Amino acid sequence: MAKINYTPNASLCGGSGPAPAVPGAAASVKPAIELHVCMGLNACKGHDRTGTNNCAGTGYCATAEQHNCKTLNNCRGQGGCGLYGDAQEQMVPGANDCAWQGSCAVPIQAERFSTLGENKGKSTWLLARKLFEERMAKANRNVGSSPFPCGPPENWLTTVLGSYDSCGNSGDKRCSFGFNNPDVNAKDLCDGKGD
Amino acid sequence: MSQTAFFSKNSEVTPDNLGAAIQQAIEIEISTIPIYLYTYYSINRSPDQDSISGFLVQQLLKHGKSLTEASAIALELSAEIMVYANKAGALIMSVAIEEMLHMALSSNLKQALAGLPQLVGKSPSVWPACLPGHEPVFWINRAKFSLDQLMTFLKIESPDPLPDPKLLKAPIPYKTIGEFYGMIINCIETNDLQYNTHSPQLIPGKGYYAQNNIDTIYYDKHHKPVYTNAADSGDLVCVFDSASAIQAITFIVDQGEGSKGAPGLNKDGTVDCGAVVPPDYDDPEKKELSHFEKFAQIYCTYKTLSDKFNQLGIGDIDISTYFVMDVPTNPSTAQYPNHIKPVSNLLNAVYTYIFVMVENCYLKSGSTQYEIFMFGIHKSMIFILNSLCGDIMKLKYKGSDNVEYFAAPTFEDYPFGLVSSPKSQLTDLFTLAVTAYPTIQYLQQRILDLPDVPLQIEGKF
Repeated sequence: MAKINYTPNASLCGGSGPAPAVPGAAASVKPAIELHVCMGLNACKGHDRTGTNNCAGTGYCATAEQHNCKTLNNCRGQGGCGLYGDAQEQMVPGANDCAWQGSCAVPIQAERFSTLGENKGKSTWLLARKLFEERMAKANRNVGSSPFPCGPPENWLTTVLGSYDSCGNSGDKRCSFGFNNPDVNAKDLCDGKGD
Repeated sequence: MSQTAFFSKNSEVTPDNLGAAIQQAIEIEISTIPIYLYTYYSINRSPDQDSISGFLVQQLLKHGKSLTEASAIALELSAEIMVYANKAGALIMSVAIEEMLHMALSSNLKQALAGLPQLVGKSPSVWPACLPGHEPVFWINRAKFSLDQLMTFLKIESPDPLPDPKLLKAPIPYKTIGEFYGMIINCIETNDLQYNTHSPQLIPGKGYYAQNNIDTIYYDKHHKPVYTNAADSGDLVCVFDSASAIQAITFIVDQGEGSKGAPGLNKDGTVDCGAVVPPDYDDPEKKELSHFEKFAQIYCTYKTLSDKFNQLGIGDIDISTYFVMDVPTNPSTAQYPNHIKPVSNLLNAVYTYIFVMVENCYLKSGSTQYEIFMFGIHKSMIFILNSLCGDIMKLKYKGSDNVEYFAAPTFEDYPFGLVSSPKSQLTDLFTLAVTAYPTIQYLQQRILDLPDVPLQIEGKF
């Protein structure tokens, strides 16, 4: 039989390689913005989805492409975390090393929690914000308040994006059934109260 | 399927047959995967509480309750059903994930001691199936969630020999999975074996295995997450000496059957629904129950809930009706009608390709192995196989008994041919499937993104 060889360049990068650029093609004139995964995680003015935020940490939404689960992020720093992935992966929301290495959806809804690691049972968005603030402190930059103090609530995201889903078969992260009070649960998560 | 011959009752694991014994262990682990997954997908983990509650109110009113009483009881019971459905799903998925871990641990063992593990084509092909070599034989169905199916699960994971009156009259040496692994440990401990330390294995620290994910948790009545697995219950182990080999086996046995001294079924074959005892856990901190005890918990709660419904006079409808889909027992792709067959073929090809990719992980190391695993196996499980399982279960057909069923994933090994790569065949199967069922168009790019790895692998150490 003909042996079929493993071909990393033609497969793992997502099919055939791109065609070479046309010589002389005009470069994009649109300045690049930093891609980040959620509300309150922008490093610069004008770097949120609407381009209208005034300073670091105050943006309304992600500039990275929206996706709904692990391994679907386009590149470095564009993956959400929590829900899937090992303990190490779940500790770096918005700070993954490479494409397809983020462990959950973008944007990160306020109700999301980590399922493994030191942050288990606690808010994923708050962890992302902590990492972001540490990065800004290292760069000697002031950070403004996020529009929602614990990240965008799922209901709000649904309103803004039309629909919103993150991965998993275990039911709605906000509320599947009663007896429970989704707002109290959300506040507990926001206050850092884990399981 | 060509499953490796199991040892007879008087056989012994020796350095000469160690490779065959470990291969058999791998196949035992593989055998359990379609069984657990089939039952898992029959469960609706998020049923509609309002419709359950409304139905129960009507039933309770018929039995003389006032509207206020009926509403209060129905709210309570429907919440219990909601939690139970989600919990049953989480626990079964937590076990299925650990069976995949066990397959990898056994494969590491084989790679270190006897050469490449063989995984493709090792799923049961005849149903009802049995665990390869298990004495006595008991039959296993791919069946929807029920008390009977849970009893089968308990037999699979039993830490004790199964009670059988016939066996008591004419005793036959009996082997549990733990006893079988014990024979391998004995061989490892009593012989000076050579370990292959240079061939690739699936090792810890690369993110290949995560004890908990969103599918292994469920929410309690107050919507607080409950985690079914513990971080210290087990992980991948790189096998390079006798200590690491025994560690790998210990993880497998403890996760399945519990620690030494864990009780099994009662002597009369019933389930012990008494308090959980320390050996029922598989981890040092006693936070994660063994597979056997997880299934015992689901079984006993089923009974308790049913009793509650019976006492209220509304037990004539089995509680599973509220959250279990009506899927057939032991379906095959060949029996499906033409609008389902191509979708089932695609699903089985994806299922089989996962094993093809795992086999390739034992030939490649470093970043290549990482990419095959994370971008091939993980993606296939989460975004292709899981999605297809959900999609196929939206299709209905009439069985030979003239009863209407939901189609279900059959988890049969797809017979990839040798004229083109498995991935190429996978994309062809997708074309056929999407023609019959356009709903799955969204899967095209996910399939195209998969790594292209060969079916036939070469090289032994």
